[in-house]
Amino acid sequence: MDAKPGTLEVLRCGACAALDPGPREICPRCHQASLQPHAVAGEGRLLTWTVIRRPPAAFRAEGAYAVAVIELDAGLKVTGRLEAPEDVNGLGSRVRLVRSKDGVAIFRAV
Amino acid sequence: MREVAITGVGSTSFGKHDGRGLESLAVEAANAALRRAGVERKEIGAVYLGNFIAGPLSGQEVLAGIVADELGLENIPCTKVEGACASGGIAFRHAVLSVAAGLCDAALVVGVEKMTHASGGQVTQALNCAMDNRSDGPSGLTFPGLFGLAWRIHAAKYGTTRDEVSAVVIKNKANGLKNPLAQLGADLNPEIIRQSQPIADPIQLYDCCPVSDGAAAVIVVAKDRARGAPDLPIDVLAAVQTRGSPRIGGHQDIVSFDATVKAAERAYQAAGLTAKDIDLVELHDCFSMAEIIDSEDLGLIPRGLGAKWAAEGRTRVGGDIPINASGGLLAKGHPVGATGVGQLYEAVLQLRGMHANQVDGAGIAMTHNLGGAGIACTVSILKRSDA
Repeated sequence: MDAKPGTLEVLRCGACAALDPGPREICPRCHQASLQPHAVAGEGRLLTWTVIRRPPAAFRAEGAYAVAVIELDAGLKVTGRLEAPEDVNGLGSRVRLVRSKDGVAIFRAV
Repeated sequence: MREVAITGVGSTSFGKHDGRGLESLAVEAANAALRRAGVERKEIGAVYLGNFIAGPLSGQEVLAGIVADELGLENIPCTKVEGACASGGIAFRHAVLSVAAGLCDAALVVGVEKMTHASGGQVTQALNCAMDNRSDGPSGLTFPGLFGLAWRIHAAKYGTTRDEVSAVVIKNKANGLKNPLAQLGADLNPEIIRQSQPIADPIQLYDCCPVSDGAAAVIVVAKDRARGAPDLPIDVLAAVQTRGSPRIGGHQDIVSFDATVKAAERAYQAAGLTAKDIDLVELHDCFSMAEIIDSEDLGLIPRGLGAKWAAEGRTRVGGDIPINASGGLLAKGHPVGATGVGQLYEAVLQLRGMHANQVDGAGIAMTHNLGGAGIACTVSILKRSDA
């Protein structure tokens, strides 16, 4: 299920308020089974990215695509897609969530 | 815990073995090791078989029992071990534990993989079983992609260049030409590498290990049972296994694997040694950038200088710390479940002074086997028993 526009659905522990990108069964900090969906702003910093030119069989139909690791302003690292990597101005660039597809967050340079 | 040693070793060549099954490769390597074990078959008290993707690629499981049956071993515990690319190293550690704990006096370790019969897409898909497919997998990331991600950060932090990374490839491919078991040794230059196909930017074709078939085996025995062996026994000073984050986002830093750092620390401590004591290392260079990260994580090269040392020739045979004299995964090949055991095979030949690409005066060797996105790691330290 995708969150409202511009936000990313992560997990927040109802017991200790820890945030985690998920999916996960129990809280990594207090180990309570109290994780709940939680929306955070889809904005952050590009840590690194690559262009996958030899996809696994399940992704072959897509051709080449860019995968990136983003550090969200909420303090979480997520692996997602990067649209228009040619617009990126080096590592550390600001990026913003443009949409999610099949549970994968898609970002673009701001 | 008792002291343990390696006696017999065996290996198939790594490469394309058309028309041969997993069982055939595993039995060839294991039978060669058993013939040089110095103990009778009936004394083998356990089998640990390292394998990763026999299920998805060959539709065959229960390999440990099948191989033991062919070898004529007793009704002993036979266990298949899986830890992605670290499966072989983990199998070795469990055999060492069995013998060290006194549960048996001798154990067989065999690693095997058969991959070349499958298509590239099938192999990539099967290898992706080593990712956390709830988090990283859905993005479409691949393992070359993981090291493409790491490369960009290494380059930004330490100024690492394409040609410096190529020095790792050129060295390992040249080492592979000297190893009769290697799949893909080659005489390369920076220009050929720069012109090779892009795979997962900045990773290009020559930065990647090939898809391989192969098997390797070692016999682990209690040290007091090693004396009768036909070849020089090799002491096991450390056999450490660790866990790291299954997820890329869980790593502190994408240019270091915590599992390797911890495994190396514990291995040095167990052996009572430091990085300066290591005469050679066989480490997990599934990609050129992996060798650079591993060599820094193991404490063999200062942080950030992995590629620069390769470019300066300091990791060649005869250099400060010879890395992957066998050709490594890049040139020897990477039959996944066999790789960790193959590294031990190479290290044993080096310590016996019988390697085709010999490191002069080799007395202490390290092996390093890394699985998944850094989720599983083994580091072992071996020593000549007469050193």
